[in-house]
Amino acid sequence: MYENLINALPAVLSLGNLLAVVIGVIAGICVGALPGLSATMAISVLIPFTFGMDPLVALGMMAGIYNGAMYGGSIPAVLLRIPGTPAAVATSFDGYPMAQQGRGGYALQVAVVSSSLGGIASALVLMLLAPPLAKVTLLFGPSEIFWVAVFGMSAIVFLLGGDVIKGLISAAFGVFISLIGIDTITGYDRYTFGHLELLDGINIVVLLVGLYALPPAVALLEEVRDLDTANTGRLNTTSIWQAIPGMLKYWKTWIRSSVIGVFVGILPGAGGSMAAFLSYNEARRASKNPQDWGKGEPEGVAASETSNNADTAAALIPALTLGIPGTAVAAVMLGGLLIHGLQPGPMLFRDNPDIVFGFMWQFLFAAILLIALGGALATNSFAQVLRLPRPLLGAIILALIFIGVYSINGRMFDVYLMMGFGLIGYFMDKLKFPLPPVVLGLILGGFAEQNLRLALRIGGGDWSILASSVASKIIIAMILIVVFMPLISRGIRRLKARPDAG
Amino acid sequence: MLKRTVTAILFSVLSTSAMADYPDKPIEIIVGYSAGGGTDVLARTLAKHLQQELGDDASIVIKNQPGAGGQIGFTSVAAAKPDGYTLGTFNLPAALALTYDRHAAYNTESFDYLANVVHDPNTIVVSQDSPYKTLDELLQAARENSSGLSVGLSSLGGNDHFSALLMEDAADVHFNLIPFEGASMARTALLGGHVAAGTMALSQTIGFEDELRVLAVLDDKRSSLARNIPTAKEQGYDVEMGSYRGFVAPADLPTDIKSKLMTAFSRLSENPDFRQELAKQGNLPDITTGDEYQQLATEQSDIAKALWESHAWK
Repeated sequence: MYENLINALPAVLSLGNLLAVVIGVIAGICVGALPGLSATMAISVLIPFTFGMDPLVALGMMAGIYNGAMYGGSIPAVLLRIPGTPAAVATSFDGYPMAQQGRGGYALQVAVVSSSLGGIASALVLMLLAPPLAKVTLLFGPSEIFWVAVFGMSAIVFLLGGDVIKGLISAAFGVFISLIGIDTITGYDRYTFGHLELLDGINIVVLLVGLYALPPAVALLEEVRDLDTANTGRLNTTSIWQAIPGMLKYWKTWIRSSVIGVFVGILPGAGGSMAAFLSYNEARRASKNPQDWGKGEPEGVAASETSNNADTAAALIPALTLGIPGTAVAAVMLGGLLIHGLQPGPMLFRDNPDIVFGFMWQFLFAAILLIALGGALATNSFAQVLRLPRPLLGAIILALIFIGVYSINGRMFDVYLMMGFGLIGYFMDKLKFPLPPVVLGLILGGFAEQNLRLALRIGGGDWSILASSVASKIIIAMILIVVFMPLISRGIRRLKARPDAG
Repeated sequence: MLKRTVTAILFSVLSTSAMADYPDKPIEIIVGYSAGGGTDVLARTLAKHLQQELGDDASIVIKNQPGAGGQIGFTSVAAAKPDGYTLGTFNLPAALALTYDRHAAYNTESFDYLANVVHDPNTIVVSQDSPYKTLDELLQAARENSSGLSVGLSSLGGNDHFSALLMEDAADVHFNLIPFEGASMARTALLGGHVAAGTMALSQTIGFEDELRVLAVLDDKRSSLARNIPTAKEQGYDVEMGSYRGFVAPADLPTDIKSKLMTAFSRLSENPDFRQELAKQGNLPDITTGDEYQQLATEQSDIAKALWESHAWK
């Protein structure tokens, strides 16, 4: 197996194939950075052209786009508090406050270095550990995945913001959105009102763009003061190579978030946004100064960006070995493989080692290239965007999100839906309802519900099936620790404090 | 006499020129699924070859209209102008089955059936480390299991679901049907031992020979891809079910355009390059055209209707 890895290297290093990765990364950063456009869309656009391409050229571009877009999403999240991709929501928590404090450039540098490291870790795991990790994926049936979703929901507590009631209402709204569409287990339509467009549920991008991008883009139109040079001037003062040594103190977060990202990646159907939320939450819990989080703590940016990139290559483990299109991007990539007659499954590694292992190398190169291309090139050029007159910037973003949302399924219905969410987002913002719980509610609510019901159906309605496997028991124990740890540690502190007082 | 000949010649010239004109603009194939999916890749592969068969610089563009299990795409094909410039992918039995279990703006009569291209028979399958070595052993276990043996499948109202229902009827057993989101999730749950058995298309088992044990192919003859796997019929259960992927046009195409399309599709059935490419993508080429395809659609629609009436799933 490892000799296959080495044998695949020369083909990847050919000029055309390397160039494909470079172009992919640049294109990925751009689509990721533009709200409304996504990696899925970019790769879909690429699909028809891949018929005529050499497989490694096509796959190299895809690997580049995937990695680039995961970082690119953080650019508007940091600069404008508009996450370019769902996975960049957690990046905006600390990235945007940093930008407001004039440290936006540093936030982006932390983001690009973390993204790159997460991507490298993920690619290495894909190259070296794909077959054993595919076995881990198999351990996770509906009941185990249900508990992972519950674990993820425990993160909501931290995202609720100041007002717990408002936070819970937001989360409940997200869960409600996840109910819309056909109930796959019984086949009944829920809240679709006869609209076929709602049958598959609401696409996370439609919700995200509506809530997060539309209101601030409209607000930009209202800002008459056109040149915010005070802010942009300070965006990027040091070169990325000088900034890296100062970031080395985040090494623990980098490792922890990479592990979380890889783990979420191999779970079928979870996705990069869940990885980012979980890892942000864990990093905050481990931090010595959790009170600073959400106010511009660079470590928060590092946590979320590391893990959403660590999810990318890892998500290909179930995709390549088991044929599970865990995320929308992975699904399109499988199509790209299929066009070249590469069918996912255990045989893929044996029958087409040159291409499969070449693809893995390309993931690694894409992650490494991210530092150079993202750090030196893209970050600086995108920062220049802030020099644009505000109304012009708002207009460009509006045009992009309309095009982007329309092109997800090629229909106006989604655009109207997005505008409706925009209205909701506007009022939520004015009434100080936090937005992140909505996103988390939509992602995890549907995930938890479906898997809970599948598990119960397998068990014939017997709830004990939920705790029947070892994996389930371990995750339940982890949830209990996470939920009760603060109480216990407070108790211990009180016990310790008593003799001192007495 | 002369007049009649002239008219005849004129007529033939006119009609040939009308035929020669088609296609004089791009033909659109509407795919009811996302770009990069199995049906989409099939449509794009077919488009490439159909362009050549149609000749005259014909060009075909793929338009994805995903959603509602393909229904959005099927509906817009049915509603399109029958001028030969809008064609669509058509997946049986799902496309017609959903006209029974939910409201649909089309029915069997709404289409001109051009060609079915792929036939992928369903299978009854267990994991390699399952105790059940034969179909009979599995069915015996299902009989003895009062709460129902768990059978994973991809979604309700499709060929996987129908296979399970037909098998239940043929063997007089009860399964506990577990509808996963997509065939690959059902297969993964089977591999992980979270469900006891599964029903999935034969193509879904290809490449997983070391992990899965196919107990029966639900077809009237053994598949060329799996010569050693017996059919359910051989084992005494008369069950046939599978997925069909084909191409349709809105009903009432002009005759000359229809015949030109039909000719191109039937030539495609003999095109070795096309067959080879399909096989490489894991599709089992089985090309039937025109009336034969229409008959297939009617049969599949009747099966779905009968199942809906006897086993309404919602």
